[in-house]
Amino acid sequence: MTNQQNSGQLPASFRDPSGFLFSRGGVLYRQVNRAYEHEYARLFESGLYEKLVKAGLLIPHVEVDQASAENARAERSEPTGERSRSDAAYKVIQPERVPFISYPYEWSFSQLKDAALATLSIQRRALKVGMSLKDASAYNVQFVRGKATLIDTLSFEIYKEGKPWVAYRQFCQHFLAPLALMALRDVRLNQLLRVYINGVRLDMASELLPWKSRFNFGLLTHIHLHASAQRRYAGEEVKSRTSGMSKQAMIGLIDNLEATIKKLTWTPHGTEWGNYYDITNYSDAAFEHKKGLMREWANRVKPALIWDLGANTGVFSRIVGTIGSYVVSFDIDPAAVEQNYLQVKSEKTENILPLLLDLTNPSPSIGWANRERESFGSRGPADMVLALAVIHHLAISNNVPLPQLAEFFANTGKWLVIEFVPKSDSQVKKLLASREDIFPNYTREGFESAFIEKFIVHDAVNIHESERVLYLMEGK
Amino acid sequence: MHFAPLPYLDPGSGSFLIQLLIAALLGLGIAVRASWGKIKRWFGIKPKADEDDDESTE
Repeated sequence: MTNQQNSGQLPASFRDPSGFLFSRGGVLYRQVNRAYEHEYARLFESGLYEKLVKAGLLIPHVEVDQASAENARAERSEPTGERSRSDAAYKVIQPERVPFISYPYEWSFSQLKDAALATLSIQRRALKVGMSLKDASAYNVQFVRGKATLIDTLSFEIYKEGKPWVAYRQFCQHFLAPLALMALRDVRLNQLLRVYINGVRLDMASELLPWKSRFNFGLLTHIHLHASAQRRYAGEEVKSRTSGMSKQAMIGLIDNLEATIKKLTWTPHGTEWGNYYDITNYSDAAFEHKKGLMREWANRVKPALIWDLGANTGVFSRIVGTIGSYVVSFDIDPAAVEQNYLQVKSEKTENILPLLLDLTNPSPSIGWANRERESFGSRGPADMVLALAVIHHLAISNNVPLPQLAEFFANTGKWLVIEFVPKSDSQVKKLLASREDIFPNYTREGFESAFIEKFIVHDAVNIHESERVLYLMEGK
Repeated sequence: MHFAPLPYLDPGSGSFLIQLLIAALLGLGIAVRASWGKIKRWFGIKPKADEDDDESTE
């Protein structure tokens, strides 16, 4: 979204009758439609906007010139009909830019949990001033300055006493069900969100959760009984949807959802790389040398956005982060991403975003017309890509030929810091121990000749007390 | 195991009804806690401070 080049309406916001997102000259705006005037005014008059922004729960914005709105409206090739009056621009706002848009299937357990708790905290504060969230979509939450933040300013409606929470089912599907599955069954089940864009259906969650989850009051009611009720009343219409639930009952519901989610925990264990730095073959001298080079090169290039691919727990992300770049710290291991996020949280780091990513199968673009959620690649390119100790996994474990790797990295970032790990390295020996060596070109020379097709090599340094080589390259 | 997929057109009645039921129960809990607080205050026991607006999500 942040790298959207074309102007006009963005595909992620087409559902909302309250307004829409558009970009103009690389800047992101949100049009507030006339139909939403009343709610928008209440958000400010009640002081809710100010409170939420102060707490870091809602993205701040400024109101801008209406003319841009009229232009944007003209660009929407929608026939003028009965919607047109309510579709008219009321205001145009410019929300603070989110440095990198991420999705729930890229979050670690605690990231999804914090996004859930932020949503409930917002709902509770909204109820206090007579408003309520009309959406509880995980896609409306982004990590801004290290904190889970609601980015959809138009998510609020006027609360009517007696009306149940319209976003209850969505909250259960987007947050509670995946969190329960991650905590009680397998942390990798967050990948269900990549398939089911509207969240995990509760009948499926109920089937997959262990039987003992029925002894947890929150999970028994919000997932198991909820799923049974859906089955029992499927297709039936309920009359009078606007009465029957007191405000006290609504607050009780929110409190209980919060307590249920707080009780769900996951402690990393038994995953691939959790204790990687304890088992690596790096000596202290080599590690320090590598750190020094990273600092020096990041300072030389001064990239605004860095993608650290294969970041593990983010040791090198933190080093390049010290120069003020925004670093997205990707790793394939849920335990490493979790540890990274918990560190970001405890140190209140604002410019590092840990995310889960399998480089051999990165996030695709999903949703309506394959355009609602962007793929990994289309959220780039980054100003600088770090590929430290990953090339052997891609070239040897995943059989990707070196020229294809060079092309991939050239499309992913303008600058590249890449570490070549030769066959003589103990880690590569381990990879080759159980398989035939079908990689005659996997040599320093083969690597360099593949990469100079796409890059200018600015620096190549042999790392002390190691057989590895670190390169600083710039895309041609 | 009996498996009935949700119909194509589902107005979400199940979610609506179960929410009413759960919320009624939980609302009752809040009411009971509130009256219990009143009783305690009557005996001079101070209730714990309510969550204020500066609550944080952390």
